[in-house]
Amino acid sequence: MHLIFGGAYQGKLDYAKERYRLEERDIFFCRAGKEGEGCPSGPEIDFNKKAVVRLEEFVLCCVRSGVEAKEYLKEHREEWEESVVLCTDISAGIVPYEREMRDWREMVGRTLTYLGKEAKEVTRVFCGLPQKIK
Amino acid sequence: MFGVDSTDIACIINSRDGTIEKNKPGGTVNIFISGGCKNGKSYYAQRLAKEQAAENTPLYYIATMEPADEEDQARILRHRQERDGWGFTTLEKSVAIESLEADFSGSFLLDSVTALLSNEMFRKDGTVDRGAYLRVAGELERLADKSGTIVFVSDYICSDAMKYDELTELYRKGLAWIDRALAKKCDTVIEVSYGNIQLLKGEISI
Repeated sequence: MHLIFGGAYQGKLDYAKERYRLEERDIFFCRAGKEGEGCPSGPEIDFNKKAVVRLEEFVLCCVRSGVEAKEYLKEHREEWEESVVLCTDISAGIVPYEREMRDWREMVGRTLTYLGKEAKEVTRVFCGLPQKIK
Repeated sequence: MFGVDSTDIACIINSRDGTIEKNKPGGTVNIFISGGCKNGKSYYAQRLAKEQAAENTPLYYIATMEPADEEDQARILRHRQERDGWGFTTLEKSVAIESLEADFSGSFLLDSVTALLSNEMFRKDGTVDRGAYLRVAGELERLADKSGTIVFVSDYICSDAMKYDELTELYRKGLAWIDRALAKKCDTVIEVSYGNIQLLKGEISI
């Protein structure tokens, strides 16, 4: 698994598309939906796709469903062995006022710490430039 | 400035191979610097601009902040005093950067891209220019083309856990757009993290 993280709008997907020659059909886009709307994609990921994008949205979905994202990923450990996983880094701002956003921020942190440990390769994208972390 | 001096620059890392590379002063180079707030970006940018300036060519500081109140006036005055003795000529330009008048063989420091986009997007007359980021990105790319050395300072504001209102989100997206355009355009890209210099692209001399 290759974990690619970075701040919002930094070019994570452009980098992954170029590096792995991904087409739209190769990508699973996680969607959390708006507050109170539930989770259009459910707290489920289709690991048959080569790339999982916006993992933070999956995590938000988990927060809303009372599921620990890391545990879900552990259960499906073998399915994402060869995946490319993209996640927005939301760890470096002010502690959010809303409870749900705080829970989200912390769960993303726990999830990425786990994935960072399991990953064969970790890349941070900053202003469109890839930075090899692992 | 923020009370940082050269000894506070803890380390210089070349992210590609871990080495420190030297660059000759006086060569023309475009540099993009970003990082979190109050990390020492401005001070380091001033040092770089001065270091890169060729002898007998002007050294300019492009000040983009538009003072809104007395607090801003005081901040600007303090920054000006801090730059005293560095040899910068200050050019006030809070909007329409393309109309800047200067000797373009000189060395420039533009601080900051963040304020410039804010001024261009949220206009004085109360209107919002939603496409400002596209215009500003183009103007700054052309400024990089026609100037000698230029150092751009921006702010990294893309890693917080907030769902913002639509206009704030558009501003963030716009700033990231400009940052990516400048990171692509510039020879050297640096992230300053609490006085630590991380080289993401190119070479630096100090």
